[in-house]
Amino acid sequence: MPDTTLLALFEDIDPAADAIEKLHEMGVTDDRINVISGVPVTHKMLGRPHPSTNVSRLALGGAVAGFCFGAFLNYGTPYLYPVLVGGQYITPVPPGMILIFEMTMLFALLSTFLGVFLDSYFPNYRPLEYVPEISDGKIGIFFKYPLEEQEKFVDAMNQLGAESVRPTEAQQL
Amino acid sequence: MAVTSKYFSGAEKGHETEHEEHDPRESLMYDPKPRGEMNAMVMESMMTTSWKFWVVFGILAFLVATCFIYAWGYLIANGLGVAGVMRPSYWGIFLVNTVFWIGISHAGTFISAILRVMKAEFRRPFTRAAELMTTFGLIQAGASIFMHLGRVWLAYWLFPIPNERQIWPNFHSPLMWDLLAITTYVLGSTMYLFLPLIPDLAMARDRSTGWRKTFFKILALGFRGTEGEWRHLQTAMNIFAFAIIPVMFSVHTIVSWDFAMAMRPGWSSTVFGPYFVLGALHSGMGAVAVVLCLMRATMKHMDYFLRKEHFDALGKLMLIVTFAYTYFFFNDYIVQWYGGDKWTDALLHWLEEGPMAWMFYQLLLFNLAIPALTLWNKKIRQNPWLLALIGFLINVGMYWERYLIVPVMLTINRMPFTWKLYSPRIEIFLTIGTFSLFLLFYLAASRLIPLIPVWEVQEGQMTHSLRKVGKTHVPTVSEFE
Repeated sequence: MPDTTLLALFEDIDPAADAIEKLHEMGVTDDRINVISGVPVTHKMLGRPHPSTNVSRLALGGAVAGFCFGAFLNYGTPYLYPVLVGGQYITPVPPGMILIFEMTMLFALLSTFLGVFLDSYFPNYRPLEYVPEISDGKIGIFFKYPLEEQEKFVDAMNQLGAESVRPTEAQQL
Repeated sequence: MAVTSKYFSGAEKGHETEHEEHDPRESLMYDPKPRGEMNAMVMESMMTTSWKFWVVFGILAFLVATCFIYAWGYLIANGLGVAGVMRPSYWGIFLVNTVFWIGISHAGTFISAILRVMKAEFRRPFTRAAELMTTFGLIQAGASIFMHLGRVWLAYWLFPIPNERQIWPNFHSPLMWDLLAITTYVLGSTMYLFLPLIPDLAMARDRSTGWRKTFFKILALGFRGTEGEWRHLQTAMNIFAFAIIPVMFSVHTIVSWDFAMAMRPGWSSTVFGPYFVLGALHSGMGAVAVVLCLMRATMKHMDYFLRKEHFDALGKLMLIVTFAYTYFFFNDYIVQWYGGDKWTDALLHWLEEGPMAWMFYQLLLFNLAIPALTLWNKKIRQNPWLLALIGFLINVGMYWERYLIVPVMLTINRMPFTWKLYSPRIEIFLTIGTFSLFLLFYLAASRLIPLIPVWEVQEGQMTHSLRKVGKTHVPTVSEFE
């Protein structure tokens, strides 16, 4: 029998955390569970593994790239058009710091922003598993389970205080 | 709630008032509503428009069409000769407006980033209103620079693009630093506005129909609120909050260097950087007070989200910024005054006794005296209209300050035979145009995006609770992160 997805909707964090614990006990692994909420709920509260993110690494990479670009603009391009004025340096250090700083920050911020898009797969306009109640503050637990055990999972979720438990499928948001 | 009503009624005077206690349930964080209800309140405030709204919208649109679009077109077609800028005041109101709007833009970053980093909870309901000021203010600042360029179609000469005419940007010029810093700030603050907006756009998407649904669906990018999405978003917002602060400081410092790097009376000052940053915060805070007061007065349900506590906290910030600004103002003034330079003395006498002295004294009154003497009072701070009035006066004073710094200080130079007072011409219309465009953008945004970050308010309410200690309940804040 193929796996299918069930959505259990909870009002509060506590029963949602208990439900996840119960799912673990019933053999559903973390990679088959997805929690969706209208406010950020930490993984520790729900007893879930720490979600990884590449945003910090991308920000750092962007900062390094921006530093190099700023240095190139400041210490590289002037040699393409060396304008000697009053014996002054073509590439003085102090004013160059300003350009390098701005480029470092600009690239870091741009790569941070792009990092959110890349890591979250934004924009994503395909049909997705979702219910509008989530943005009303409910916590939704989506989990995959063997279809023949549906009744067992529905009962377990209902006993833990789920507002509704229903099979779900992807829809246009 | 008996204690609360007594507290706010102000009926009891004298010794007893010292012992009155603030009921924490008067605070937004301790007065939670279900998320669905808060969503509905914000959506209703966004969707509701009266005929008054459209009248104001129409007037602003007319002013933008005539004073911004037509006047700028006229300037482009006829050249800078139709403006009042001429020797010795080559920098006129265009640059005054640029500095003023960049100053206004500092409020958003300060409130959103610094208060987020410091975990100041009162920031939650009005971060977006302040962030919008940053983005819209920077648009006006950019437009003012392009107006000042005159031949605006040649703006690309500022970019390091190899070309046959061998015109290269000079990266050692403060004007070039301006371009880079303002570009970084515009892009950074716009992204910083957008990131925390995504969950609220998703909320609006779930509650709208028709063209609004399509609009919110596109902007929400498919956000659902998964653990991963929240993690990426929060990591990015933390990075932005820390990174945008030095960018904010750099922008107005660099703007000050446009002046301070020149050996001119009144301009050549080592404290111009921090003095400008404080001035920017001063005007920005004042502008936020005005906007919040108008939001509360004109939009539905805003009295739930924007309370006396928020105006009180904003008033305290304004008071602190007033002191800091006063310190730098006096520091700048006294050092120049003591310097004994002949031309600086002439400039200072011009400010005190010349034809623009009224502007100088209004600056002292509006920027220093009025906020410093009034914001001590809690009742004044908690009165939205009074705080907005003080904020408005601060902005009038700050505009005069920039006017004195740009065209007036250019007038009094080391060549007295060139002294000639600057008289703005088409600049007056263009100034009205930029102010109208700013207000028009704000008015449009108030009906197109949720001005209250509902998810941030709910997150705050989840972390706040009243804990029973002995015979009383004490406010308690938890750390979720």
